[in-house]
Amino acid sequence: MTSLLRLSGVDFAYEGHAVLRQATFDLDPGSCTALIGTNGVGKTTLLRIAAGVLRPASGSVTLRGRPMGTITLKEVARTVALVPQQLELPFAFTVQQVVEQGRTPYIGMLRGPGRSDRMAVDRALDLADASSLRHRIFNELSGGERQRVKIALGLAQEPRLLLLDEPTQNLDIGRQVELIDLLHFLRAEGITILASMHDLHLVDKNFSTVLLLSPGQPLTSGTPEQMLKPSVLEDAFRCPPDRHPLLIERAELYRKEAR
Amino acid sequence: MALEIATVPGTSPAGELLAHGRREHRPGAVLVVLTAALGVVTLVSLATGAVSISPRTIVAAVVGYRPLSETQRLILFHLRLPRVLASGLVGSGLSLAGLLFQGLFRNPIADPYVIGSSGGAVFGACIGIFFFSQWSVFGFSATALLAFAGSAATMALVYALARSAGKTNVVTLLLAGFAISTMFTNTSYFFELFDRTGASNRILLSWLHGSIGTPASSELAVSAALLAGATVVALPLMRTLNTLALGDEYARQLGVPVESARVWIILIGSLLTAVAVSLGGMISFAGLIVPHVARLWLGPDHVRLLPVTALAGAIFLMLADTLARTILAPSEVPVGILMAFIGAPFFLYLLRKMKRSYAV
Repeated sequence: MTSLLRLSGVDFAYEGHAVLRQATFDLDPGSCTALIGTNGVGKTTLLRIAAGVLRPASGSVTLRGRPMGTITLKEVARTVALVPQQLELPFAFTVQQVVEQGRTPYIGMLRGPGRSDRMAVDRALDLADASSLRHRIFNELSGGERQRVKIALGLAQEPRLLLLDEPTQNLDIGRQVELIDLLHFLRAEGITILASMHDLHLVDKNFSTVLLLSPGQPLTSGTPEQMLKPSVLEDAFRCPPDRHPLLIERAELYRKEAR
Repeated sequence: MALEIATVPGTSPAGELLAHGRREHRPGAVLVVLTAALGVVTLVSLATGAVSISPRTIVAAVVGYRPLSETQRLILFHLRLPRVLASGLVGSGLSLAGLLFQGLFRNPIADPYVIGSSGGAVFGACIGIFFFSQWSVFGFSATALLAFAGSAATMALVYALARSAGKTNVVTLLLAGFAISTMFTNTSYFFELFDRTGASNRILLSWLHGSIGTPASSELAVSAALLAGATVVALPLMRTLNTLALGDEYARQLGVPVESARVWIILIGSLLTAVAVSLGGMISFAGLIVPHVARLWLGPDHVRLLPVTALAGAIFLMLADTLARTILAPSEVPVGILMAFIGAPFFLYLLRKMKRSYAV
């Protein structure tokens, strides 16, 4: 099976400061992958490279078997959507107007949005439970509301690969569960998902694969069971095993399973 | 999050009360009202002056009901009409340039005057006036071409200074624009030294103060054609400006060729500024205020804003210029100075009114 996205030996540095070294991974169509790692380790950079907005210093990125550099921006945008952590607008755009921007890869310069575009926007707003916000000004929304609108904006692109950068930030636990339900639904629709996640409780049982990015270490991947072992997390996050509830809880879980 | 999927397309909120209580108007209705207002303001501007010619007389002459006297005809068609049309073109040009620059820089304070585009155009034009006044290329005077070159070069310089790590720093942009604008404006006074007759100095001063004279019909025609051409080319870029509001990186992620779009917007904005500066010199606030007012009426969608900004800009400067030539009659106040007096308080009022809308 051809990978939807493949990064091979990717290096990236900001002004001489190496962020990614020899990052290699494949995303199979329909997979749901969590990207975990410490703050500032390069998760966002990896997602931006996967979305084609950053070019790696070396290595290759292929989308559906084709090198990213040979695919037009619009074609990439019809396949990959990146939902960023931050989105600030300079003017008072409504939520509807913001989500309509997701149709940009489908709309020609001289043509306005058509019926299919309006339907895609409505569907995206519905899926992200943001329809009721449609006429609100984006800049006046709460953090959680903005998060839902950003996800709707990504869904309006009708992507095959959805990249999410910290999608649960600013969401209360009820909304987090709804987001996870949405990810399951999108996966069932055949959409591949790669999400950087800080809340490791949500990673277990909801993602098929976990990618772990550690400072100065090669990118490693495995199932949640393999990657969320207390010993792996202790090393990756440099966190004493008896100081964080998650590690204590997982150590307990693994002890029970071992028995 | 609800997983039921709507199959009925949504409708535009235009003309509806938004959730926070602001009302957006229907673009068609605003265009009709502004077109009618443009007609009325043109008539009033033509009628107003040292020699009063009533609007009824003008309308009667236009429809062929009663001809004008020779004096009235001279005043109307050789003095006032070119000036009224020029003020309309200047207002449209500056307002559209303001709209483009505000959208490009994602900054509601950017306008040709503030970010140095006008200063660069005046500097280029000064070189044309003082050294190449007899030159022309393909029918365009060296002054006009150098005004465009000065405007575009200044914009590119300010933009390059404000860009860092793929982002536009707003504070650097405004400071760089202010510094370059001040430098060019003051350097323009240096050209006085090269003028022995004083003739060029008078032109220079009227440009620096912002004053709309009575242009030749050929100059008007070329300016109108350039403005119309720039507006047509800008039209497909309006949707791009909406996408650029999400940020350069997000726009690229949505398939927008950001670099080439940016170059086009700077070139068109510079051309519009050069057209306005060629006709009226340094006029502040029009490019700042008119897009703001248009956004109050229609929201931030640039596709809707383009025609409305062009019309509103023309009306605004026609009124301002009519006031400038009549308020201290028989003396005339340069419209640039008048704009500074009425523009600054009006802009401060708008800032207070709109402060919730901007994340600057």
